[in-house]
Amino acid sequence: MHIWHFFAGALVFTLRQTPERTVPPLSRAEKSRLIEKMCSYIPHSMLQGIRLEQVDGEEVTMRLPYRPELVGNPESGAIHSGALTVLLDHTLGTAGICCNAVGAMITPTLDLRIDHLRVAPAGRDILATAGVYRVTRRILFVEGFAWCESRDKPIARATGSWVLMPELDLGALFKGSDAGAQQQ
Amino acid sequence: MTISLSELLQRKPDADTLTLWLEKIPYAVYLGIRAEIEGNDILFVLPHDRKLIGNPTLPAIHGGVVGAFMEQAATLHLLAKMEDPVLPRIINFSLDYLRPARLRTTYARCTLTRQGRQIANVSISAWQETSETPVSIARAHFLVQDHDRDAPAGVSP
Repeated sequence: MHIWHFFAGALVFTLRQTPERTVPPLSRAEKSRLIEKMCSYIPHSMLQGIRLEQVDGEEVTMRLPYRPELVGNPESGAIHSGALTVLLDHTLGTAGICCNAVGAMITPTLDLRIDHLRVAPAGRDILATAGVYRVTRRILFVEGFAWCESRDKPIARATGSWVLMPELDLGALFKGSDAGAQQQ
Repeated sequence: MTISLSELLQRKPDADTLTLWLEKIPYAVYLGIRAEIEGNDILFVLPHDRKLIGNPTLPAIHGGVVGAFMEQAATLHLLAKMEDPVLPRIINFSLDYLRPARLRTTYARCTLTRQGRQIANVSISAWQETSETPVSIARAHFLVQDHDRDAPAGVSP
């Protein structure tokens, strides 16, 4: 099977620590740089204006700026739950980069489950925070949540799994994507 | 157009009404979602558009967009099947990615698996080439009670 057949919609670079090869974790600046590069590599995320808010250890927070075209309920002005799906898919998929592990890798999304806990307030940016809670040889288990005023009052909570593909050597692709991202 | 979304909900869910519903939802308009009547069924269509790309190398549509399309399809499908339509509120959504969604037109069809007095369960399948090879399958729970609109969805349904 051609390797590209594995790719899901959102292309994600992650770093993974293998038992055979232990490399020091990336610094916060290195993680941030990789995540920003990924944001500019993914056209839809860039068009949505999804951007890195902060990296805190092994946790990442992204921001989705409010725009009228993201509204799902015209009577309340609340953001569409589908726009939250895009933000959470992107943020949970990005969390692999913040996981202290090494080996540039593509991780297709296997599944994603979202619980909608509150209505998103109208006119406000939405933040999403995510982290990897378990890495196995093949699977990355990730959880996260979307929030607005306070992270203690999540709008939505998400869990998902991503497939690790350690057999893929991403070096060449990564360089190619690097050039592509810089052109954008 | 002056008719409100609430007023639209009372109309028979024919092709024109489905189009009007979609036109009322800014995010559905942004994604470019369309709906067609197929006998007793509704076929939802997400025309291919470069702004939806998540993986520029393939290229493939962003997985989150496929999910958003399926969620929207489920909501409208449920609305169309309700005897006394109220705007459904999504409780949760579970999505399995089976294949990359290429930069092609994507289709979705839904099944109202169960409608209770308060909760509805809708399953959704999205495909590109044939419906036998879905790119993604999903299911969603909705709160369908005509309840206080300010109450949080999904809490103590």
